[in-house]
Amino acid sequence: MSEKFDISNIAKLASVSLSDDEKQKLSSDLSVILEHVQALSNLELDTNIKNVYIHPLEKELVLDEDIEKPSLTHDEALSNAPKASDGKFIVPPSLE
Amino acid sequence: MNLKPTIGIETHIELNTNTKMFCRCKVVDTEEPNISLCPTCIGLPGALPVPNEKAIRYITLLALATGCAITKKGMFHRKNYFYPDLPKNYQISQFDLPVGENGKLEIVIDNEKDYVEIERVHMEEDTGKSSHEGTGRIDSATSTSLDFNRSGVPLVEIVTKPVIQSSKVAVAYIEELRQLAIDLDISEGKLEKGNLRFDANISVAPSKSDELGTKVEIKNMNSLRSLERAIDYEIKRQSSAIENGESIIQETRHWDESKETTTSMRSKEGSADYRYFSDPDLPNMVLSDKFVNQVKESLPSLPHENRNKLVETGLDLSDSNVLSKSEKWILELYFKVYDNTKDSKATFNWITGELQGQMRKLEIKSLPEWFSPNFLSDIIQLIDANKISFTSGKVILEELIQKDTTPDDVAKKLNLYQENDESAISKIVNEVIKNNQDIVERIKNGEDKLVGFMVGQIIKSSGGSINPGIAKEILSKELNL
Repeated sequence: MSEKFDISNIAKLASVSLSDDEKQKLSSDLSVILEHVQALSNLELDTNIKNVYIHPLEKELVLDEDIEKPSLTHDEALSNAPKASDGKFIVPPSLE
Repeated sequence: MNLKPTIGIETHIELNTNTKMFCRCKVVDTEEPNISLCPTCIGLPGALPVPNEKAIRYITLLALATGCAITKKGMFHRKNYFYPDLPKNYQISQFDLPVGENGKLEIVIDNEKDYVEIERVHMEEDTGKSSHEGTGRIDSATSTSLDFNRSGVPLVEIVTKPVIQSSKVAVAYIEELRQLAIDLDISEGKLEKGNLRFDANISVAPSKSDELGTKVEIKNMNSLRSLERAIDYEIKRQSSAIENGESIIQETRHWDESKETTTSMRSKEGSADYRYFSDPDLPNMVLSDKFVNQVKESLPSLPHENRNKLVETGLDLSDSNVLSKSEKWILELYFKVYDNTKDSKATFNWITGELQGQMRKLEIKSLPEWFSPNFLSDIIQLIDANKISFTSGKVILEELIQKDTTPDDVAKKLNLYQENDESAISKIVNEVIKNNQDIVERIKNGEDKLVGFMVGQIIKSSGGSINPGIAKEILSKELNL
């Protein structure tokens, strides 16, 4: 299967930097995955079903009590941010 | 062309839980950014969401209170969209299996009951807050800064069916929903703090048409006043476009508070754009009969039930609606005072007019501890029995709010009890007649309006202790009027 994607663009969108070797390896891995998923389009599906009750897990949801638990400190929370200022995360300008 | 508007409203209510929806970070109300965060609410890889039991209880309360059918076997979905205030790149929400469906809310319009049908009530999480740095204009911002304290705070979304036909009904609906959330004690219900936020879907179509027109969504209305104005503006805009033969574009429009107009924000996403799928991190949510029954038993008296109780005391629906939207202590005070006076209108007027008016003037939010409901019923009963004047009642009330005393003590101290004994009043009336012979002459010559002046003089001579009605009656008799 020929590559139908631009691995450099995907890397850019995911904010990860890849070496040429990594790009080559990941391109072939991704091709194999896409080929595998392609099998789904051979299935005949009834797209008119409403309220399909499907979920990958058989278990029932467990709820937690409304009691505070310790979380990250302010500094820990911001430690992975590419940029921060005045205690806030800073990202490139975004428009709605 | 005869046109009719159709409006549907989506409301988000921020629940007043102690912790967030899917993590146990404390819900904080502060300007200090990013102080209540954990891997779950900032979307770090590998973090797992665990729902808040109290939030599920609260949404079930709201769904039951709006008469919704409860979905006993539901689930959470991922609503995918990419915006920096949503760090996971999806919001956990509910798609085709919301907690509640097909309910209705009773409202009061022009002293009549009406109902707004509710399509669904579902659970989701709030986003973080973004602000755009730079020139101040969103389209020329140099960067976006983010505070995730609000990220993951439990939100309930209530969607009405497209059944609302005017801004007036829309406002009444939001007022009712807000009161319901407050009475259920599931939210602070403060619009100015963003506890309650609403969007309106508006379309206009020919009156005779069975089909709805193209839907336009209006965002950024943060008060009831802006909701009302935005709806009225949009109905006019769409109507004139249709009359001019233009077509309406399905889009999201932004309400501009300062210009009082709506402007186009973006073409509207359909639900397919959000690529909903069941959240694999959250298994099916089963609400057992036992759980639902427990929640049902904990339902307090709802606003429409309070209204019915008020109507039973003799108030009309409109006044009952006003009282049902008051703070709880005011409602309780009404029932206690009414129990003594059995005079619904006077009790209503004294509480909503005089008492609340004086409290506003004195800038106090709650009554002092010593203030007994009996004080108010005593004042009303003293006026009814002609023992004090209405004006004296107001003076007594003002004293009682500020000093630990009783109505009787104030009336005695300030000499406010009215003289009802005719012979005593006659004596004062005759004295005033004697001292104002010139006025008496003019009254006899037809200057009727001077009677009021004489009554004023009589009350003044008595030190304010005479019932003006009786004084006027005796004066008329003495002057053969």
